[in-house]
Amino acid sequence: MSTSAASTPDLRAEMRRGAETMAVAAPPSSARGITSDLSVDEALLLHAGGWEPLDLVCGVAVVSVPVGVWNWGRGAISLASDAHNEAVDQAARALRAECAKVHGHGVVGVRVEVEVRTHHIDVELVGTAVRPVSGEDPRGTDSALSMPFVSDLSARDFTLLLRAGWMPVGLAFGASFVYSPRRTAGAAMKQSTQNIELTNYTEAMYSARESAMEKMQRSALEAGGEGVVEVKVTEGPMSFAKHAVGFTAWGTAVKLVADEHQFVQPEMVLPLDDAVVSFQAQSLRGQGRGR
Amino acid sequence: MTDLVGPGDPDAPPGRAAGDLPEAAVRRMQSGAFSSGLSVPDFAACLELGLQPVALVQGFCVMQWGWYGPGSGYSRGMSPYVYGSQGDGSYSETYRCPHGYVSAEHRMWGQNLEQPWVEAAWTQGYGSAYARMIEEATDVGAHGVIGVVDRVGTLADTGNTEFHFLGTAVRVDGGPPPAGGVPWSTYLAGQRLTKSIEAGFMPVAVVASLASVRVWAYCMTEYYMEGQVGWGYAAGGPQLVEQVSKAHMAARQLARKHVRAQLGGDELHGAFIDVATRELSAGDEVIDCTLRGNRMRRFKDFDPAPAPRPTVRLG
Repeated sequence: MSTSAASTPDLRAEMRRGAETMAVAAPPSSARGITSDLSVDEALLLHAGGWEPLDLVCGVAVVSVPVGVWNWGRGAISLASDAHNEAVDQAARALRAECAKVHGHGVVGVRVEVEVRTHHIDVELVGTAVRPVSGEDPRGTDSALSMPFVSDLSARDFTLLLRAGWMPVGLAFGASFVYSPRRTAGAAMKQSTQNIELTNYTEAMYSARESAMEKMQRSALEAGGEGVVEVKVTEGPMSFAKHAVGFTAWGTAVKLVADEHQFVQPEMVLPLDDAVVSFQAQSLRGQGRGR
Repeated sequence: MTDLVGPGDPDAPPGRAAGDLPEAAVRRMQSGAFSSGLSVPDFAACLELGLQPVALVQGFCVMQWGWYGPGSGYSRGMSPYVYGSQGDGSYSETYRCPHGYVSAEHRMWGQNLEQPWVEAAWTQGYGSAYARMIEEATDVGAHGVIGVVDRVGTLADTGNTEFHFLGTAVRVDGGPPPAGGVPWSTYLAGQRLTKSIEAGFMPVAVVASLASVRVWAYCMTEYYMEGQVGWGYAAGGPQLVEQVSKAHMAARQLARKHVRAQLGGDELHGAFIDVATRELSAGDEVIDCTLRGNRMRRFKDFDPAPAPRPTVRLG
């Protein structure tokens, strides 16, 4: 997005004005300054959309996975899936509690980090608590303060979403782990010389995918959302249990708060500058190979 | 070179310099040619703002970490039985075994403990390197340092830690020198700095902190982290590992608290949080959390940017 600035400010005069502020020692202040992990662009966009950052907030949860869960078996590994979903819920709860403490209406730009280990699952959520400058929340101020939203959308996407008449309501998450069925010894030997699909893995992937996506969509509905945007997925065998495959899906649950979807109607821009072909000297020295 | 006077004190100007640079550095900086670590676009944006690059300034500090043996300051961190809480308002939380006496090996006691001596050592290394960079900038008569890059890494294979700061010292055309002659600093440069100035935020200093929390697992934490249900408890499903979860939350909250103490009412922009965890045994771990960002001061009333105009790029 670009901005339609009416006039270009005198940047040198602004810089001198800033330097004059620094020329005198600041009086002692007990004000609680805001903290935010937003970039300058994101902070300015947020302000332009009528919202402001409040505080850098985080939520962490470590949940145990009972011993024996990853042993050979059949079907879904429900205890591992439960542990994963519990870890995400607890971390989101801690994040919302931190947000509520600073009277935030929600958290944007949430960085999601999940680590699945043999005996525990660690989830870390970090983002910036925000609130509308006017104090008026499209969801209703009371409900916004009692249940702050958690969204992994960037401030840019959050602003665009609001403009289209939608609001994030929460982080929708679903995870599923499934045993890949064993092949018989005969089948394994027979297939060892063939280029052939390993249907046991394919089927396990489909099974895990369906369960995880269903959980994610259910969690979006439970949070009051109508759908999920920016869905991310991870999938594959577990590094410590190759016979088990995991599938996780998450995104931001959204709901329409305007009477109807507002069409943003973007302008088309045709850049006239040529793409710059960059020359990287380190490629001559062979650095970065294998990365 | 200076002692620690860098980030950390909200009232004192950051990076007060003592003025004893190496002689060769002084000669080089008086040579007349300017140097800068800015990219060409950042350099152009810098001139647009009326900032004159003066010199590429740097600061170094190498810290050795004391050994963890008996008699060292670190021995406080060896056992929660020895000293208990660290006092001075630092974070400490204890956990007691619900079983009573089971065996000599049974972990009847657990503790989450902030390690202020580790934090102080990190602050010393980081602050000294920062102060030395600011000292160089002060010596060349700079008003500020932009495009700061800091790096904290291991010095070769020695196990010692090197703190390195690098930035471009600048003077503001027609602007007054900063209070006390101590240059301001920021990680920003180029368009990002321009936008901040345009929005009414002046950089004050780069700020950073480390929070270090040591976890001694008690029996239940040990069981859970090994996937067991706990001695005397019925088999169950997944359990929240409360002690470790709280330690992780505490490390992040402490890092934020330490940085907030350096803000003096200003704002922290572009914060970046980084966590390193060293696992020692099931549940026993050290969590080091660093938080860094730009301390910014508002110098004019909030002036929201016009509503953004959505565009689609063709070609």
